[in-house]
Amino acid sequence: MITTVLIWLPIAAAIVVWVLPLSRYATGSLAVLVSLAEVGVWIEQAFRFDFSKHGLQFSQRGGWINDLHVSYHVGVYGFSLWLVGLTVIAMAACTSYGFWVGRDRPRAYFGLMLFLTGATVGVFVAQDLLLFYAFFEAMLIPLYILVGVWGGPGRLGATIKFFIYTAAGSLLMLAALIAYGLHAGTFDLVDGAPSFSRWIFLGFMLAFVIKAPLFPFHGWLPETYREAPPEVTAVLSGVIAKAGTYGMLRIAITKLPEPTSYYRTLILALAAAALVYGSLLAFRAPDLRGVVAYSSLAQSGLIALGLFSGTNLGYDGAVLQMVAHGLVSTALFLLAGTVERRTTTDQFALLGGMAKGRPALATLLMTCGIISLAVPGSANFAGEFLILAGVFQRAWWWAAIGAGAIVLAAMYMLRAISAVLHQARGSVVTEEALDLRLGELSLIVPLVAGLLFLSAWPAGVSHHSFAGDQPVQSVKGQFR
Amino acid sequence: MTAGAWLCLFAPLAGTLVITLGGARIPRDGAGWISTTSVFVAFAGAAWSFFGLRAHGSENGVVSTAWTWLQGGNFKVGLSVFVDPLSTMMMLIVSGVGGLIVLYSIGYMDGDDEERRYFAYMSLFVFSMLLLVEGGNLLLLLAGWGMVGLSSYLLIGFWHERESAVAAAKKAFVMNAFGDATMALALFILIVHTGSLSFASAFSNAPLLSSTTVNFVALGLLGGAVAKSAQFPLHTWLPDAMEGPTPVSALIHAATMVTAGVYLIARTHAIFEAARTIELIAAGTGALTLLMAGLIALVQTDIKRVIAYSTMSQIGYMFLGAGVGAYANGMFHLMTHAFFKALLFMAAGIVIHALSGEQDIRKMRGMAQALPWTRWAFLAGSLALVGLPPFSGFFSKDSIIAAALHDHWYGVILAVAALAGAFLTGLYTFRLYFIVFGRSDGPAPHTHGHGEGPRTMLLPVGILSVLAVIGGWIQFSPFWHPLTNWLEPAARTLGVAEPTNAQEAIASIAAVVLGLAGIGVAWALYGARRRSVPRLQLLQRALEHKFYFDELYDALFYKPAAAIANLSRRDVEEGFVLAAGPDIGETAFDAGRGVRRLQTGLLRTYVFFLGTGMAVLAIVFLLAK
Amino acid sequence: MLGPGVAWYLGVSAFLFSIGALGVLLRRNPLIVLLSLEIMLNGANLALIAFSRHAGNGAGQIFALAVMAVAASEVCVGLGLVVAIHRRRLELDVDRLSELRG
Repeated sequence: MITTVLIWLPIAAAIVVWVLPLSRYATGSLAVLVSLAEVGVWIEQAFRFDFSKHGLQFSQRGGWINDLHVSYHVGVYGFSLWLVGLTVIAMAACTSYGFWVGRDRPRAYFGLMLFLTGATVGVFVAQDLLLFYAFFEAMLIPLYILVGVWGGPGRLGATIKFFIYTAAGSLLMLAALIAYGLHAGTFDLVDGAPSFSRWIFLGFMLAFVIKAPLFPFHGWLPETYREAPPEVTAVLSGVIAKAGTYGMLRIAITKLPEPTSYYRTLILALAAAALVYGSLLAFRAPDLRGVVAYSSLAQSGLIALGLFSGTNLGYDGAVLQMVAHGLVSTALFLLAGTVERRTTTDQFALLGGMAKGRPALATLLMTCGIISLAVPGSANFAGEFLILAGVFQRAWWWAAIGAGAIVLAAMYMLRAISAVLHQARGSVVTEEALDLRLGELSLIVPLVAGLLFLSAWPAGVSHHSFAGDQPVQSVKGQFR
Repeated sequence: MTAGAWLCLFAPLAGTLVITLGGARIPRDGAGWISTTSVFVAFAGAAWSFFGLRAHGSENGVVSTAWTWLQGGNFKVGLSVFVDPLSTMMMLIVSGVGGLIVLYSIGYMDGDDEERRYFAYMSLFVFSMLLLVEGGNLLLLLAGWGMVGLSSYLLIGFWHERESAVAAAKKAFVMNAFGDATMALALFILIVHTGSLSFASAFSNAPLLSSTTVNFVALGLLGGAVAKSAQFPLHTWLPDAMEGPTPVSALIHAATMVTAGVYLIARTHAIFEAARTIELIAAGTGALTLLMAGLIALVQTDIKRVIAYSTMSQIGYMFLGAGVGAYANGMFHLMTHAFFKALLFMAAGIVIHALSGEQDIRKMRGMAQALPWTRWAFLAGSLALVGLPPFSGFFSKDSIIAAALHDHWYGVILAVAALAGAFLTGLYTFRLYFIVFGRSDGPAPHTHGHGEGPRTMLLPVGILSVLAVIGGWIQFSPFWHPLTNWLEPAARTLGVAEPTNAQEAIASIAAVVLGLAGIGVAWALYGARRRSVPRLQLLQRALEHKFYFDELYDALFYKPAAAIANLSRRDVEEGFVLAAGPDIGETAFDAGRGVRRLQTGLLRTYVFFLGTGMAVLAIVFLLAK
Repeated sequence: MLGPGVAWYLGVSAFLFSIGALGVLLRRNPLIVLLSLEIMLNGANLALIAFSRHAGNGAGQIFALAVMAVAASEVCVGLGLVVAIHRRRLELDVDRLSELRG
């Protein structure tokens, strides 16, 4: 029951918002309240979750298209619990940001944000392939509209590119999943037998590799991340990207084990390329959003590296990194949004010296920046360490590349922080650009507090993602 | 006693949190007192652990774990502290000297706009350093390692309106990150081969690993140590780090952070002993650095840079000692060095403060009259640095040279290098002393006239002066060595590094003689001004450019990285990836345009196609039949 | 069987058909195109009747009657279009009447 509530509560709220002619304030408050209620429901679920039990928990199953053996089957595992948590927390922060900033056409906007929340939760809990696909597409629709209507000046081109890339991937995934479903006789993920087809694997992987994204399928990333409103970019980078890597884990690796090992080296190479390439481009990006965007590309590569290492440490590290990076990237994009609101730009050439007189902004941006570069002691470091230790067990050179990326991360992130906060005051930084206000602090500080808590106890996530903490066995046993 | 260790670790962190969350509600000097108190509470905790350990008498130290920090599959790392002779010694040094320096900062940083941020960072640093030395396993050590790098970045770039400070901070962090990366690789190797990162597991398994494996592990650890301790070839960040406030230089870049590399070698000596070649490379690196830094220090004109190169050189001694296997001697020199180097920096800080920020020694002549106490403190520190008896440096430095003498033929080479270094030390140290405090020809520089400084600044200087004199009296090998005995369970000196009495005597006498010779030459050149400095153009230029390392690294690493990044951005990203989407769209459009040309609108075309199509179909049907 | 063989009739039919086809393809005036279309149809009719006679079957002749009926109605429509075009003062030239272009 809880899982269904988590999906449909925000969607129902979205419909209410779209239908009833509420005022701007009422709409926004309703949206924020529903988001916070979602967080509450998820916390309840997390407390009641039994981390030592194998198999799906909190599951519901109902008939949908019985002739094709397609059912409404939802439920959570350990790792999906954390991803759902990431989704509801990030969406709560971003919806609140939208409320704080004030967007035109509030009913449309908040309805879309709520719908996005429900659809994304659906992606992480769906246990039937067609249901998964439905939620996957449903997740994209509000994004197209949010980017296309409320975005920056280049939003139309960005939206078209985003649409073409993701639609292409989705179509291939649809073909792959139909092939899988017809061959296995059922579309259910829990019951369905593993498949040996490499084409099906490639179909699924292409969609996930575009979504994550990984090099070289990331052509939609820079423009979309730059043009979308800051809270939408935060959602894209923090949550939606993780849907891609979740798909890799739940569907591609679990259901197609033989093609996974066949293509393992290729995918590890692509992931390592994303890691290095993303870091290099972040090092040269001229704007704050660009740096964090390419950093997201690099982190997606790192997570994929962990997933495809096929080792216990790799899987645990990947899940931890998904949560940790999701939180920090949301916080960073929201902070970038606050900078843009005050100075109309995030171009480094025009910024600088914002730390003086703005202690809250400086502290938060610095904290998030250094956590993002995985300073030892942080949750991101713990995730990165586990991933690289895991992939080292596969072959030492992947870990060596990862270690090199550690240095690159230090270079690009410190460059970005210094360009905004330090040195001479930029031309657009005026006296009117004040420090962070209570409203903004109330959304960003919880994210940072969560990160610091996770940094003190990363085992909270990494040890509790797979029943008995033997992920290799869990994956092999199809999580049953 | 583990309670003491936990108190020691978390008190400074509490200090940081209080200052950060309090923000503007805490008065500026209030922040200073909060920070100082937190560090002294840490010192109390360290003392509690120390005495507890002495009473306990446990040989191998005690691990106390709070909770499981990280866990993946069968691999487990706890948030734990390790109380043993080596860690308690470091805890005392870090919190003790640290507390004195933070106290000094209250006076030094008085009036700065961002005082609270400074003290928050200082407490954070002390916490990080304590995590490093107290951490109960290698991963926590790495965590502390990275966090001291972070604190160093925050403090070097404290005056962040200055572009040079920001650049120096970034450089320090990136070079340290490189060391972090090599250490991480070493830890990965250990995980693959032993499944655990606890000290007990790593050290007991080290002799059992294959030679290549343990060599790589040691090499990775050495990479981290070299980066953190600013030894050749990863030393270029330390002089730039002098952009930070002087107490920062005293604490981080003299007394504690840069000595972490020596601590690491002592702590993981089991691994290094299994990879003896790497250990000797460490010793050689130390010797090379001590000579190189000593030479560069001869031409520096910034007071802090001279002391920075001196630090680099002295850490070379510590690496030399630890590398040949005389861990206790290396740690002893670490302790005395913390006293006299912090003293020298703080005394320099008084001079800089008095001259309102002037750091060029050419403008500092004849300060002895304006700053008498400082002059004596500086003299005490200098004599300790050169290693003349009965000052502390004599006892610690000479035992290292003696240990090296005993260790095969290469040890003798290292010892000779160390002795040459002793001469250089005397020369550059007293060059500095005579220029700044000696008799001057012209009028004395204009000071701000507030005397030598508030009590909060003079008290720590006084305490450290005393320690610089008597701190070495705790050990006078081979007659009396309680420190070596104390450290024996944790880091037993290797047999090859235990010198004979004769070697001790030779080392001591030679070092003292050479040190006095250095002082003498300095007196001749800078004190009495009897001779002028010899002009060796090429050498002078090489030294002034610090042997061109900065230029080399810029060409080897930074420029290629930036070039590859630019290339990626221009050609791959903009040329290929970003264009791929629009290119697909363009292709679709072109195809459509091509097909569109069939629709001519002319009747005859359509009839023609109709006719030919039918004819073709007819023929096909007939043939198929 | 009296008269020339069926091949001769087919030859004439082909001759008529090709004249008609060339006319449709090469002439510009829509009236002439329609006329040529009629000639093509007549050629086809001739072929039908010749085969009908040759096979002794009446089906071909009946089908030729059907073709004539269709030809008549299609000519009506075509001429109606030509008159409408002429009324609009457009040029009666098929090469110029190409607005339904892609």
